Amino acid sequence: MAKKYGMIHDNNLCIGCQACNVACRSENQIPESVYRLQVWVKQEEYPNGGLGYEYHRQSCVQCENTPCVSVCPTHASYKNEDGIVLIDNDLCVGCLYCVAACPYQARYVHPVTKAPDKCTFCHESRLARGEEPACVTVCPTDALIFGDLNDPKSKINKALSERVTYRQKESLGTQPKMFIVPNHKGGIRS
Amino acid sequence: MAYFQARRDFLKLATKSATATVLIPGSLGALGEVALRGEDKFVRSICEMCSSRCPMEARVINGKTVLLQGNAFAKEMGTSLCAKGVAGSSQLYDSQRLVSPLIRVGKRGENRWREASFEEALNLVSTKLSALKERYGARSVIFSSKTGEHYDLLRSFASAFGSPNVFSHWSSCPIAIESAFHHTFGEKLHRDFENATYILNFGHNLFEGLDISLTKAMAHFCANPSKKLVVLDPRFSIIAAKADEWHSIKPGSDLAFVLALLHVWIRDGKFDHTFVEQYTIGFDALVDAVKETTPQWQQTRTGIDASVVERIAAELYAATPRCIIDWGHKATTTQAEFQRSRAILIANILMGNVEKEGGIYLTKSAKRVNALAKESIVPELNDPFPRLQINEPRIDGAGEEGAYCFVSKQHGVLTAIPEAILSQKPYEIKGWFLTRHNPLITVADPQKMKEAMEQLEFIVVNDIYLSDTAMMADVILPECTYLERDEGISTLTCKVPTYAMRNKIVAPLHENKSAIEIIRALAERMGYGSHYAWKNSSELRAFQAKGNAELLQTLLLRGVASFDVPFFCARESSLVERFCERYPKSRAWVDAQGCFGHLLTHLKTPSGKIEIYCDAVEKIFKGYGVPRSVDMDVSQGLPYVLTSGKSAVHTNGHTQNVPYLSRLLSSNPIWMHPSTAKAHGLKMGDTFYLQNAIAKEKATVFITEGIRPDTLFAYMGFGRDAPSLARTHGKGTNVSKFLSLASAPICGAMITNVGVNIIKA
Repeated sequence: MAKKYGMIHDNNLCIGCQACNVACRSENQIPESVYRLQVWVKQEEYPNGGLGYEYHRQSCVQCENTPCVSVCPTHASYKNEDGIVLIDNDLCVGCLYCVAACPYQARYVHPVTKAPDKCTFCHESRLARGEEPACVTVCPTDALIFGDLNDPKSKINKALSERVTYRQKESLGTQPKMFIVPNHKGGIRS
Repeated sequence: MAYFQARRDFLKLATKSATATVLIPGSLGALGEVALRGEDKFVRSICEMCSSRCPMEARVINGKTVLLQGNAFAKEMGTSLCAKGVAGSSQLYDSQRLVSPLIRVGKRGENRWREASFEEALNLVSTKLSALKERYGARSVIFSSKTGEHYDLLRSFASAFGSPNVFSHWSSCPIAIESAFHHTFGEKLHRDFENATYILNFGHNLFEGLDISLTKAMAHFCANPSKKLVVLDPRFSIIAAKADEWHSIKPGSDLAFVLALLHVWIRDGKFDHTFVEQYTIGFDALVDAVKETTPQWQQTRTGIDASVVERIAAELYAATPRCIIDWGHKATTTQAEFQRSRAILIANILMGNVEKEGGIYLTKSAKRVNALAKESIVPELNDPFPRLQINEPRIDGAGEEGAYCFVSKQHGVLTAIPEAILSQKPYEIKGWFLTRHNPLITVADPQKMKEAMEQLEFIVVNDIYLSDTAMMADVILPECTYLERDEGISTLTCKVPTYAMRNKIVAPLHENKSAIEIIRALAERMGYGSHYAWKNSSELRAFQAKGNAELLQTLLLRGVASFDVPFFCARESSLVERFCERYPKSRAWVDAQGCFGHLLTHLKTPSGKIEIYCDAVEKIFKGYGVPRSVDMDVSQGLPYVLTSGKSAVHTNGHTQNVPYLSRLLSSNPIWMHPSTAKAHGLKMGDTFYLQNAIAKEKATVFITEGIRPDTLFAYMGFGRDAPSLARTHGKGTNVSKFLSLASAPICGAMITNVGVNIIKA
């Protein structure tokens, strides 16, 4: 059966340390002016007057219903058999519709290839070798869980059955395969 | 295809490109396209991007890419590694690294150099050092290094040379807690975060100063709703944000809070009486010392409500023994640092968590485990770094009669160096050999330190970057990065005996040499070759391992070696029983309670027991034998206290110029509360001056609710004067410039909180 890869970002475990960011850059040789993945640590003030930090993973959320693929006039953007959204550089004409269509601002123009680029779950570099994406591998606090959503016994399905999750901009109907465990340690009052 | 490429070129988005500035052609930069000479395989080693020394592994693919990750053979690591660790490859290929020995041609500190061969540079260093020794005596040369193998090498070399003046980085980092442990337990203990249920934390920020195994354990602790973390920190740090409670304590007043906790427990009789009775001495002196330190008393000092102390005291007691009062690593807050650290340790002792699961525990070293088992279950190592006894006084008086009598001669007091050089007291200092040590960034009052360095005849620096301190050198010896060198075996033991070894991952990209090669070559040239039982890293390892080929092979292949010894806490009878089942001869040690209680009554303290009261300290420093309310002022009459700490992506002074990391955090705007900013008419990003008696420095402001109005905070390691560190040069503020050379009594720790004024630019 085809795989359907997904990921969980657990905000309770994430500490915003950027190990994932650097691992992604290192593994995928991302030029310094752009990024596939960052974690934005944002200070929040909660309604109770308390403080907290939120850890936003800024990267492709691997939609099931993909605006970037829908708008691509040349089929350069596509979803592979494992549900990973990829770009075929040879077909890309650089219209950048996909960059504009992505509701998650996940795409950038690669300064060398000049084609759009984004997180691929390390499809080209690691998945083929049976390894997890680099961000998941190095995460110091085990805040990222990766796996096959079609496999009922996978680590990710087990975690999804135990933890409350949400997805970014769910109302758009894009059905991201990036699940977020909300931070329950918010609203600390000094 | 060409069309598509052309069209993409046409449509390309403007991207910001960073250019690497090459200041000294040939010696810095000019790396070009250097292909990696490794193979497609994993090599396991030890990280060196900070001092935590996490086991890591590197993958070399197609001769080009290096991905660094944690070494899963170290169970507590998994494949985890922090941003600094993963960025090791970025440092390896950095075009701003030192790639050739440099010899000064301009005035000292002028940053004008000529390239030299290693042959010439080492000859010059050996000639100059020997000349200084002949003319002024060996004691006229200082040797300093951060701890680790560099330090072991340098200390050994210094003793062969004949100088007593060896300094580690300790006095600018963990010396207070190390000293507190020494006087209380005779050795350092560790924390069992995994099994604890309640942790009281005084700014030990494992989420910004990462040590993977501890950080991971703490993250899982925080994410577990059945456990409780309370953080006391003037700043809303990442760990404060992960806590169940955060109290923004006044900087420098941790001691008052702990004294109040001790007061409450003793007042109510709520502590582990049996443990205190059986394993400690000097409890009565403590009772007397904390009579007046009520929760009400601490309220005016800490800014924390008295009722909070009462509640936390009760909660901790209810959680005993699975509770930890966490001491942190480097949190040198005030002159009272020794007392603060001791008070924290004694709070743990009163909770009876020593050698209990979820509490604190002694290192289960090879020697200790073998002695318990009455058989050799874990190989013990030879010390490959011989040290001769030097019978000369040190320039800082460490370990000798006087203010620093309790400071170890092995580590010394760095802040005493400038005065000793400038005053030529107790004697003349003429040379300084620094290896991987950057005191102009990491030690207090670098202005004065620089002035002192200018007086010296000869300075040699071993580093991988042309740092602020290297700029002051006569000779710079460029070391390989850790990815390019082999080292000896190091001990990582906490819960069970564990060894690790730094293995070369790629051949050196340039002519750089390792510290082992540099020091050994100097020793040979200066006639100290016979001091060592080895000539190179392979011989060093073999000597260290006592020829144990199996151990060496494991360390070569796996990077770490552990020995399937079951973990035990000496006071957990079930764990003691498990150990005895495995090693039956150890039953001889088991006491009536089914424990290895003798471990806690045969400590290396004068009494052999845990010392709540230290007679030796009290005799020389009256009032310091037990924790008392002393020396807690940090503001020195100025309106604000400037505090500092780590970010998750940088160390205190080494990583700021590493390409990947520099991009993540390239400056250190000063954290300031909105009300403070408003009072001084400052808006986000504005420039202003920080000023105190010894410095006035430009800074920018970062306005946040996450700091007390009377406190300011900066990440360490910025404000670099070295132009060769082109990415970080001139960015941010060097907070060390505000720090005083006055150190904390007894332990000699540098104090990193300091009073400042805000002056509008």
